[in-house]
Amino acid sequence: MQGAYMNYAAKRLLQAVVVVLLTYVFTFIVVSILPGDPVTNVLRDPQNGFTEAEIAQIVAAQGLDKPIPVQLWHSLSGFVTGDLGVSLRSSRPVSDLIAEVLPSTLRLAGGALAVALVLAMGIAYGARFLPHRFGGAALRALPSLFLSVPSFVIGLLLIHIFGFQLGLFMVIDPNSFWATFFAAVALGIPISAQIAEVLMANLDHEASQDYAAVARARGLRQSKLFFRHLLKPSSLPVVTVIALMVGEVLGNTLITETVFGRTGVGSLIQRSVVTQDLPVLQAIVSLAAVVFAVINLIADLIYPLLDPRVKLVGTAPRRVTTADELPRANA
Amino acid sequence: MASQDGLTPPLLRVDGLSVAYGPNEVVRDVGFELGRGKSIALIGESGSGKSTIARAVLRLLPAQGRATGRVAFQGQEILSLPERRFRPLRGKAIGFVPQDPGNALNPVRTIGAQAEEAAALLDERDPRIRRAIILDTFAQVGLDNPQRVYDSYPHQLSGGMLQRVLIGLAVLPRPALLVADEPTSALDVTIQKRILDLLSKLRQELDIGLLLITHDLAIAAERTDAILVLKGGEVQEAGPTARVFASPASAYARKLHADVPALNPDRYAALRDPGFARLKRAAPKIEVSNVTKTFSVDGRNLTAVDNVSFAVPAGTTHALVGESGSGKTTTIRLLLGLDQPDAGGITVAGTPLSGRAPETLREAWRHLQLVYQNPFTSLDPTWKVETLIREPLDRFGIATPKDRADRVREALANVGLGEHLLARKPAALSGGQRQRVAIARALVLKPDVIVLDEPTSALDVSVQADIVGVLLDLQANLGLTYVFVSHDLALVRQLAHSVSVMHRGRIVEHGPVSEIFDRPREAYTRTLLDAIPSGLSAPQPSRRLAEAVA
Repeated sequence: MQGAYMNYAAKRLLQAVVVVLLTYVFTFIVVSILPGDPVTNVLRDPQNGFTEAEIAQIVAAQGLDKPIPVQLWHSLSGFVTGDLGVSLRSSRPVSDLIAEVLPSTLRLAGGALAVALVLAMGIAYGARFLPHRFGGAALRALPSLFLSVPSFVIGLLLIHIFGFQLGLFMVIDPNSFWATFFAAVALGIPISAQIAEVLMANLDHEASQDYAAVARARGLRQSKLFFRHLLKPSSLPVVTVIALMVGEVLGNTLITETVFGRTGVGSLIQRSVVTQDLPVLQAIVSLAAVVFAVINLIADLIYPLLDPRVKLVGTAPRRVTTADELPRANA
Repeated sequence: MASQDGLTPPLLRVDGLSVAYGPNEVVRDVGFELGRGKSIALIGESGSGKSTIARAVLRLLPAQGRATGRVAFQGQEILSLPERRFRPLRGKAIGFVPQDPGNALNPVRTIGAQAEEAAALLDERDPRIRRAIILDTFAQVGLDNPQRVYDSYPHQLSGGMLQRVLIGLAVLPRPALLVADEPTSALDVTIQKRILDLLSKLRQELDIGLLLITHDLAIAAERTDAILVLKGGEVQEAGPTARVFASPASAYARKLHADVPALNPDRYAALRDPGFARLKRAAPKIEVSNVTKTFSVDGRNLTAVDNVSFAVPAGTTHALVGESGSGKTTTIRLLLGLDQPDAGGITVAGTPLSGRAPETLREAWRHLQLVYQNPFTSLDPTWKVETLIREPLDRFGIATPKDRADRVREALANVGLGEHLLARKPAALSGGQRQRVAIARALVLKPDVIVLDEPTSALDVSVQADIVGVLLDLQANLGLTYVFVSHDLALVRQLAHSVSVMHRGRIVEHGPVSEIFDRPREAYTRTLLDAIPSGLSAPQPSRRLAEAVA
């Protein structure tokens, strides 16, 4: 089993690397064949005051007059070695620009995911076990409510209540703990709704299985039934949902950063799009691809740990039901 | 029933128990009493309320279920007890053995982790001693390698092993009452016998009271002191087992008795017996010769079917008998052309089927139809009965639309269903009606051969009897040839003419039914015969069985 797992992990890792590289190549080619030449457009901006001769010199120095395959090769080998090029606007290395904003965004996204998981588990637990008079069933309506309120509205509400009314954090200091916390809450609430929906549906399914009744008949209290028996099999689809939501979380992160006035990847993207700062955009797209690949890699590596029935076949986990699919040697 | 004496209350006393789901009352005014170390069987078909009563006693009814009346455990009323005060009784005083061992253990946790939960009910602080007790219990229920079982996940063990684990976990905390809800209905007959033997043995050794839920009167008669016959949630008859079994007073109990194949081997003799003459005279409809099929599983080669040969004369029924994993299912997949054999030949009605690509088999399938095991999953739930039965005609482009409608009605009439069912969907049909629809669907193409893959194993005994009647009727009227797959020899004796007994991919014995039943030569065949519940109490495991299996 150990050997098989490492083998599977290695294959899966290789696949993730290939996905990232292909994404890089794809974005590079798409940008290259698009009509118009953003680089020279930026350079020709009258504000910069370059002469045509100077522009030609810069283009040659950057290797932009070379054929596209050659450019791709330079760019790709730079990417692999960690050299993301130089920003057209600020003339600073792109890696420096990203390193400045990434920690703040990661704190926000990570915090939001933590908030979402805790909230979703709380809702699912309450909806299943809280008695009626304490609003157990009413909790089931909460995810739809969370989903129908956009995260920026939640963000504005949180800023108003906890920032202005209660004075828990200063709006002008967006990197303080409480400011980050409430930004994470605003971002985490819609995510929690989707996780809670999936978790509740799966908990209902698992709780209706015979083994849950048998475990209860064994005298288990509800909290043990929930945490020891129901949560693990129910969380498999949750892992899938989280992996699929990465894109949405990234997108919402940008909105939340704007609402809370945080400097992060969001503001960097915004600036770079407006100024057509291609090397920065290319780096961010590649970064997003890396995040996607890593999250999905983690998800695929978690499946077999959560469910021993998941067979590691090739590079995709697959659940087999031994009894029905395979002839057995003896019963 | 009166209490044994005035001083000690009975182990379990149920009085005027009714259970309702919303306005729907599924159990009405049921009462019985179970003494310490005694056993009682609740018997009836699906929907009789027997499992609901068990769940009410265990307080495991779904949230919308409401139980009224009195259930007293060792003199203590438990229906009205708050969960906080009932929970200490769970497991420790009242054990539960569920119906389907395949679903009764958490699939993502090891057996050991779940066994520790049962062991935690003992007043034992030392985890090493608790662990030793668990391993002892596993050995006690006949698991060969307790440590391996402890470390396994449920999907790594067979159904029989899992049921042993579950029985072990239920008796480990030494409960006074064990509720067993059809503990063997998901298992093979031979394993069924061993599990029931184990339950009887543990009950006697540990002085446990047993509440056994079953639909099989023969099992109830063998294993319990008293019987409560239920129908539609009401008690039909109750009394000591010997009396109810030997001279049932109610019409329903008499019907249950008549429906058990083991007790009535010649029930359908009039329809079945003409086939015996055809065994010698008729030309073979199906010839399977020296067929072998090997699968590769996890890198190992597994011979699922090993040099299997049999022939079925036209108009007769040939039974393939064996346990799970014996190769029955693979054999019929080969027979139907769903898989191709590695070696050997298959001929149906003179046409060779082996060695052909699936697309050239279409024409052969017109004459070779399958009725699948489980009518609850084999019919598309979104289709109407009429469409379900007509589909094969549409697929093969047979007859005009008007004629098709006639043939659908004819097939429906053949299986004894009324035309008012044509517009219904499977959800509105009972299990027996669904299986009749599945048979009609096979019949509508007017095939020569029907392959029946355990066609009654998902059905109650009484429904099974109906289906067997329908099948024999059709054979007598239409001259059909059946290949009948089953693990139940009692059923085979009721309807088949010749038998092949399969074990680990090989046919170990074959011949006319009478020969196999009266003069079995192989130890394995005798094991299968021994496993048929006879209704006569046989609490001691037979030595011959133990030898044959070991």
